[in-house]
Amino acid sequence: MATSIEGYQMARRGRARAALATAAIGSFVAGTISTVLLSVLAVPMARFAVMFRAADYFALAVLAMVAVTALVGRSMTRGLLSLALGLFVGLVGIDSLTGQARFTFGSVNLLDGVNIVVVIVGLFAIGETLHLASRPHDVPSTVAPLEPARGFAWLTREDWRRSWRPWLRGTALGFPFGALPSGGAELPTFLSYTYESKRSKHRDEFGEGAIEGVAGPEAANNASFSGVLVPLLTLGIPTSATAAVMLAAFQIFNVQPGPDLFDEGGALVWALIASLYLGNVLLLLLNLPLIRLWVKVLQIPRPVLYSGILVFATLGVYAVSGSVFQVLLAYAIGVVGFFMRRYDFPIAPVILGLILGPMMEEQFRRALSLSNGDFGVFVSRPLTVVLLSLAVLALVVPYTPRLLARGRGDRVLAKVALGEDD
Amino acid sequence: MSAVVDESPQGTVPGTVPSGRPLGPRIAAVVVLLAGAGMLVRAIQDAVQHGLTVDGPRLAPLIVTSGWVVLGGAYLAQSWTAEPVRRERAPRASWFVPAALMAALVGYALVLEYTVLGYVPATAVFFVAAARLLGDRPWRAVILRDAVVALALSLVIYVAFTRFLDIQLPAGVLPI
Repeated sequence: MATSIEGYQMARRGRARAALATAAIGSFVAGTISTVLLSVLAVPMARFAVMFRAADYFALAVLAMVAVTALVGRSMTRGLLSLALGLFVGLVGIDSLTGQARFTFGSVNLLDGVNIVVVIVGLFAIGETLHLASRPHDVPSTVAPLEPARGFAWLTREDWRRSWRPWLRGTALGFPFGALPSGGAELPTFLSYTYESKRSKHRDEFGEGAIEGVAGPEAANNASFSGVLVPLLTLGIPTSATAAVMLAAFQIFNVQPGPDLFDEGGALVWALIASLYLGNVLLLLLNLPLIRLWVKVLQIPRPVLYSGILVFATLGVYAVSGSVFQVLLAYAIGVVGFFMRRYDFPIAPVILGLILGPMMEEQFRRALSLSNGDFGVFVSRPLTVVLLSLAVLALVVPYTPRLLARGRGDRVLAKVALGEDD
Repeated sequence: MSAVVDESPQGTVPGTVPSGRPLGPRIAAVVVLLAGAGMLVRAIQDAVQHGLTVDGPRLAPLIVTSGWVVLGGAYLAQSWTAEPVRRERAPRASWFVPAALMAALVGYALVLEYTVLGYVPATAVFFVAAARLLGDRPWRAVILRDAVVALALSLVIYVAFTRFLDIQLPAGVLPI
């Protein structure tokens, strides 16, 4: 993530406090503005979404998956392979429309499919720890001692002056890009970092701990989350890995996000949106006084931290499923995640494929059975055609900024642009 | 669409080492391709056995596994023809530690399920072993710290989950 470049450099210079403070306040400003935008836009958007038919949903799911896969990661081939893996795992189990078993290999344990929690724990917690275990002594663990505290002054007057414009610019980038199927926070944070590093008066400090490089991307990151909620709540389409996890959580509680959600579950949605306002305030209230503690978290010895992660990962799967098969399955997926990380496969497309795949297949089959098997249903309405064309476009566009960045010889940017952050 | 990360000529960029054409991605590509091919065969068998319709359950597996095989072939071709890449100078990657950690994890899960040892002792022992594998400081310098953290963590988890969340964990040999 772009923030970590400047934030880490600031921490090394003893400015961890200012870095965390500008991130916290920036997130609050951006979160509040973008939640207001969400409140205003969600209902009109849901009205519009009512017009969506099965073929449109299919096209939208294709667009979301392809766009996210194309925009994260360094290689389209590896990204699409990750997506194929996610789609495949989504196929395992009993088909929801006909009750036929697919890829269960005769195991009753697989009839219910592979639980998303198992996949997430495996890929993120287990895979990440195995990856780290293969590269010992890699990460320097020293952080410079904090500069002396000055009561409540986390930021100097100079810091404020340099932070507020990047906060607003980050918000302006974060919300719309979050709402588009562009992979959530990746693109807007990167764009914000790029913009600040090019336009800032303190360009020369970038790479060595410029506060703008933390303020802008952090604001963009938080604003993009409210943006991501627009398609998630009104269409039921997750456009980032986080949104996919949230959708899974909704489904656990039998809530199906979509156009009807605002009519049928209005109280719930507005409570969720209200909780975002509250959450933003709480985050600020908790984060600022606790900055001293967060800096301490950096000092937990790595072996202790990661052993704890393994214990909690195992506990999570075991407690949810009560089955040692599911635990071992999570470990096996962790091994896959380890090799994916090692050979530079992005993780986010797996999660999106797993969540969107079954939805996409269902809408595809519904559209075709309504049209009596006529594939013309996917090209007969302008909306479907536009969405599918955008999906094709998404496969082509990512090469453009990538080539530009490389052409300019901008190594840091090329690295950030091509790097992935799951 | 290439896997090239750094296009500088060899031997000029500090912090990188020439690594030639790495073998790992090729092996990975072969494994990916073979697994995909196996699943495609399975999908074809199912389609033949149950019949294939455009709105039935046998089409999606065919599409996904075919895509997998095609992409796996492309990945194999890329890893075979890729220019020799320069990798960032990283300490030599260890295979022993992740493998040992994996063995510890599997052992931990099996002990939890099939022995009477119980959650707290199994977790504490696993934690110390995992911390030992992940750490680089001498055994004697950290064993006390790890053991204290391990016992405290597993006890807190056990009590919190069984008493407050009503989630059963194996009690085992401890009288708690």
